[in-house]
Amino acid sequence: MAEHPELLPYGIIREDLFRPLSRAGSKWWFTVTVCFLLVLAGLAAWGVQLRDGLGVTGLNRPVFWGLYIVDFVFWIGISHAGTLISAILRLTDAAWRKPVTRAAEAITLFALMIGGLFPIIHLGRAWFFYWLIPYPNARLMWPNFRSPLVWDLVAILTYVTGSAIYLYLPLIPDMAQLGAHNKPWRRKLYTTLSLGWTGSDREWHALEMAMKLNAVIILAIAISVHTVVAWDFSMSIAPTWHSTMFGPYFVVGAIFSGIGALIIVMATLRRTLHLENYLIKRHFDNMSKLMLTMSLLWFYFTMSEHITIWYGNEPKEMGVFGQRTRGDYAFWFWTMVVVNFVIPVTLLGIKKLRSITTAVIASFGVLIGMWLERYLIVVPTLVTPRLASATSVYSPSWVELMITVATFAAMILLYLLFARLFPIIAVWEYKPHSPEEED
Amino acid sequence: MFLIAEYRSKDALVEALLALKGAGLTAEDLAVFSEEPIEFRKGILDRHSNMSKAAVAGAVTLGTLATWFVYYAQHNYELITGGMPIFSFWATGIITYETTMLGAVLATFFWFLWESGLIRRRDPEAPIPVIGPASMSLRVKCDSARADSFVETLRRTGAIKTERRGK
Amino acid sequence: MPTGKETHTDQAKPHRWGMVIDLDRCTGCEACVVACHAENNIAVSNPEEAARGRVNHWLRVDRYYEGQFPDVKVKYRPVLCQHCDEAPCEPVCPVNATYHNPEGLNVQVYNRCVGTFYCANNCPYTVRSFNWFDPQWPEPMQLQHNPDVSLRPGGVMEKCTFCIQRIKRVEESADAGSRPVADGEVQPACVQSCPAEAMVFGDLNDPDSKVSRLAGDGRATKLMEELGTKPKVVYLDRAR
Repeated sequence: MAEHPELLPYGIIREDLFRPLSRAGSKWWFTVTVCFLLVLAGLAAWGVQLRDGLGVTGLNRPVFWGLYIVDFVFWIGISHAGTLISAILRLTDAAWRKPVTRAAEAITLFALMIGGLFPIIHLGRAWFFYWLIPYPNARLMWPNFRSPLVWDLVAILTYVTGSAIYLYLPLIPDMAQLGAHNKPWRRKLYTTLSLGWTGSDREWHALEMAMKLNAVIILAIAISVHTVVAWDFSMSIAPTWHSTMFGPYFVVGAIFSGIGALIIVMATLRRTLHLENYLIKRHFDNMSKLMLTMSLLWFYFTMSEHITIWYGNEPKEMGVFGQRTRGDYAFWFWTMVVVNFVIPVTLLGIKKLRSITTAVIASFGVLIGMWLERYLIVVPTLVTPRLASATSVYSPSWVELMITVATFAAMILLYLLFARLFPIIAVWEYKPHSPEEED
Repeated sequence: MFLIAEYRSKDALVEALLALKGAGLTAEDLAVFSEEPIEFRKGILDRHSNMSKAAVAGAVTLGTLATWFVYYAQHNYELITGGMPIFSFWATGIITYETTMLGAVLATFFWFLWESGLIRRRDPEAPIPVIGPASMSLRVKCDSARADSFVETLRRTGAIKTERRGK
Repeated sequence: MPTGKETHTDQAKPHRWGMVIDLDRCTGCEACVVACHAENNIAVSNPEEAARGRVNHWLRVDRYYEGQFPDVKVKYRPVLCQHCDEAPCEPVCPVNATYHNPEGLNVQVYNRCVGTFYCANNCPYTVRSFNWFDPQWPEPMQLQHNPDVSLRPGGVMEKCTFCIQRIKRVEESADAGSRPVADGEVQPACVQSCPAEAMVFGDLNDPDSKVSRLAGDGRATKLMEELGTKPKVVYLDRAR
């Protein structure tokens, strides 16, 4: 490696961004252990469910979908973090996104992996989940491609593949750089993953072309994925589910919750990995403005949804509306409005109040609010069936709650492991293109 | 034989490339190695890429295949559900869309692996310069007869270091 | 290659099974509910599970109360799977565990069901029920199982089948005797057990069958017909 004094800044950049890979404090080990234990507990809860049946949940007739579906939609929503930041900002050449892209793309991939588990977890006979996949079999049967759940399968598989590739491609140059720097098993890992990258202009050119194409494609995929998830509800004729707005509504909500997750992750990384010089107030400012926009958009959609239901006054829909705004779910509904709209608009809209701390507070609120929103979409409708005699109440059981908690622990765990193995900021993307240029 | 020259300045590198191309070398003979991507203006070191076409081809292929498969499967074991027709493009169109996107993604990825040269067999003779932060290495493939004049060009345009490898 | 179609060599036209329920005759006694449980090997629930909304009534009798005591009027409506011709539960099942057979029945294939619950959510009549656990019967109830009806494992959706086992049995003996199925020969358990003879079952494709004649009655209505599900259970409204 060349040693010239004027190159020190770049050396420092690389050192700063590679340092987390070589050392981990006791806090890291503690968090990893706690999360790991929670994940184990979640797996045990799932084991109980597999052994005893879905009866261990709080589900019943007519509330056949509960926490698992809420979690499913929530996690797939979080996965839109990476897509927005990486794809849209890459396409619009917004330079400020550079330190944020890999962290966002990692959120996307892990959220998708976790969210994609829930369609399996919620099955009555989960061990037969592969029957949704078309493969030649002795029954000579195929899955029903008309079902939105099969569309879900195709969409999520596509998105996972796309996200994994989108995360991996810009990792390759960093892997090549790390190949010389570490312990033997890591060296082997990094050199294998770098595919023999030499840094030639041909490779760079191909990489940049691939990134550009992928950005466009993954944007198209992301919008369709959450639309398809929304269509699990819209294609049904259950009151208030059968809404033409659900597609865009869910996409907006997904991007909204995604940014919230991203802000929390960025603030945590900044603190724990000492990246104060790389994740500066300007980044949080821009992301806060994005989140503010999404909050306004979310409010617009929620209001449109509810005002049209109320004005239309269709009895079955009004039953659900009443449950949400005045009935058993009123507290959660208005809490959701406060944390999704009132707090973000106040904290992020008023310039004086906008800071990294308030952005994180607003983001936590948004995550809670968006989870509540999914809950309020799934459960009130099922609790008010068209034939009122079939009504019931739903209260989640310990199994469902344990699994929900375990998925949050799994997300944190996966992220901690990722940040230890790979530089969370793409070193090559961060540096300017030539020694004379300043960022 | 191969010449390797190290540069610190992008302008010097561009000058060298233009000079070498003026002396009869093509982009095939030249390669620039760096730790971050270097943007060249059009005409200096153009690399022709068919990746977009590959993406479109992959998209159309997989999308068509998937749609045909759905059509085949729905007719292979005909089951009426909800009064819908056996095959309806509206009921399964989303699968066409997603598999089209998947085809584009996969085609782009594999084309990238090929076009970048990462999965192709490299020329065992060609040396790979060790790169460092902010240094750019230029590798020139030429006949040993003309090597001297090229080395002179490289030095003239500001190469920090030059070396020859091979015969 | 199987095509899912069935053939009946004896019939000029396939059967189209339908039911008529006379709400004027129905007394709300729920003999039909009990008969259905007995005929179809439905799992027995318990008070805790029932309180959580987990009873597997394939057929339930809805009660609608009008007025205050002592001038209370009660209206009864037995609700069962309507075997809709455009059933909303059918297209949403990802594994084709529920589909429309050529005799117009909405069939549930137990060994194909993976338990996604989508069909149950989409049924506007809420007639589908789920086996939350592996079914249990308190001793010696398991001795009275109907051998013609399969036992469903936990994790599988189930619902009224119009007693397809009785339909099959009658069709098989009719085929064996080379004669057509007579009107009224097929009687699902609920129809058979109704003391008020409020329920009638038969072939809607036969214009002379009792079901077809009653379905054209002036009092004939269908439940939530405006949803476009095309149900095949006809309710004869109360005369007053």
